[in-house]
Amino acid sequence: MMLGWNIFPFMAAAVVLLAFAGAVVAFVRRERSGGAMLLMAGAIAIMLTFIAMLWLTLQRPPLRTMGETRLWYSLFLLVAGLFTYGRWRYRWIMLFAAILATVFILINILKPEIHDQTLMPALQSVWFVPHVSIYMFSYALLGCGTLLSLVALVRGNHDLDEAIERLLYGGVAFLTVGMLTGALWAKDAWGAYWSWDAKESWAAVTWALYLVALHMSPAITPRRPRTLYVVIILAFLALQMCWYGVNYLPSAADSVHAYNQ
Amino acid sequence: MPCMRCMQKEREYRYPVGAIVTAVVAILTTTLQGVVGDFPVALFSFPLNIIAMMLWLVSLTVIYRNRGTSRLCRVLMSRSATWLSLLVMATIGLVLGLQRMPSSASWGVVVGLLYVMSHLYLITLRGMCATGAVRWRFTLLHLGLLIALGAGFWGAPDRVQLRMAVDGRANNVAYTMSGEAHTLDYYISLKEFSVRPGGGGEHMQYEATVTVDREDVVLRVNHPYSRTWAEKIYIVNHGAQPAGNYVVVEIVIEPWQWLSAAGIVMLIVGAVLMFLRGPRRLNGDV
Repeated sequence: MMLGWNIFPFMAAAVVLLAFAGAVVAFVRRERSGGAMLLMAGAIAIMLTFIAMLWLTLQRPPLRTMGETRLWYSLFLLVAGLFTYGRWRYRWIMLFAAILATVFILINILKPEIHDQTLMPALQSVWFVPHVSIYMFSYALLGCGTLLSLVALVRGNHDLDEAIERLLYGGVAFLTVGMLTGALWAKDAWGAYWSWDAKESWAAVTWALYLVALHMSPAITPRRPRTLYVVIILAFLALQMCWYGVNYLPSAADSVHAYNQ
Repeated sequence: MPCMRCMQKEREYRYPVGAIVTAVVAILTTTLQGVVGDFPVALFSFPLNIIAMMLWLVSLTVIYRNRGTSRLCRVLMSRSATWLSLLVMATIGLVLGLQRMPSSASWGVVVGLLYVMSHLYLITLRGMCATGAVRWRFTLLHLGLLIALGAGFWGAPDRVQLRMAVDGRANNVAYTMSGEAHTLDYYISLKEFSVRPGGGGEHMQYEATVTVDREDVVLRVNHPYSRTWAEKIYIVNHGAQPAGNYVVVEIVIEPWQWLSAAGIVMLIVGAVLMFLRGPRRLNGDV
């Protein structure tokens, strides 16, 4: 435990530096830049190394606490940014990803979550890592999509529609798989695929709102783009409720998902 | 095919009529909830749930076959109906997510889910007949969701959840969550129980060897014992250590569980295809 979190600020500084360097290079260059991708890949490699070290030190996957999940969120934001840049060449996407990842890194530095090494019995499952990792990746894609929707809403044009739609499709695909791996895990752990627990109910709200957005996307309904942006932003707010906001509701008191309270 | 004028009229009336119907249904279900309490799920246990489901499927299929002339069918398969069904799902989640003791058997949830599944069934039928590169994806996603929701909905009356405190003596009396006694046709007894401690005074894992129907089985969290294709036994609690000499097991009988699993797997495959193929749509107005 000491090894991991003690050196986190130093490794995080390197991650942020490399990520922003890559993002700036990508933003400045008109064509797709291999150098920018290399810099971002370096940032990802350092973050991945830190997570691997923490994993070894804790002797369990670092996916249990809010601080640890934010670590994965930072990582997957950078991965999503690199992937989206590499695949669709949006030169600003890595900058968005770097800013968002830095926010979560800063939260971890300014408010470190220190925890014991014990992974509670309910979390000892083969579903644990895939469920949370897939969710984190979807959060990263949907986070980028939300930022682009905000920009599009402010700008009032539709230049970003294609990128928003692709991020929405990718994010919702991962969100769906994350939710369903959770359902399969729940059957093993508690005997029911779905029990309308507070967390599950908010997951249903989030998923349904993203499906509304998906059915409003240009590929399906080629109109109402402004409404689409608003729905994507609302869905992302619901996602925040599902992720950590639900912990502050009275309905979460009896939740079987309350691992971090 | 309906004429353009009729379709225009339908569009004009769709939203107000839809809003009125939704409001009336909401008032009716709220009133019913207040007067008679939750929906009587237990009344629809096998074979009544199968009969009700078949009647529902046949009715929807008849409606679908008359889609060329049936205004109800066109409204039920419209884009607005899709948005309404998704908003119904979101509302159900929101209402249940804000309650401390949510009841998924309330009238609002039952009627809402029935509407969602009806819409899903009709558009799945239409989508399966469509052409295009993403037909399989569409079918997997929509049929998968329909099967997963349907198995949970129609299978709920057949689901039995019992708890039993198990010690060294053979026992076959378990209790429902409402405290009613239920006699099993086999006995369970505790043979061995151990706790593996972790740091911070927490339990790393607990493990019980129990004798179920004269067979020794090991129960751990996340590792239930499948007694039959429809029945699983879980360890859910234990007596205080070191003096504790009993464990609490949960017996879940769920004949529809494999149908739910099939729907979930279809949805996962559909979601993977959605990521791989990206934004595309079916040919035709689906």
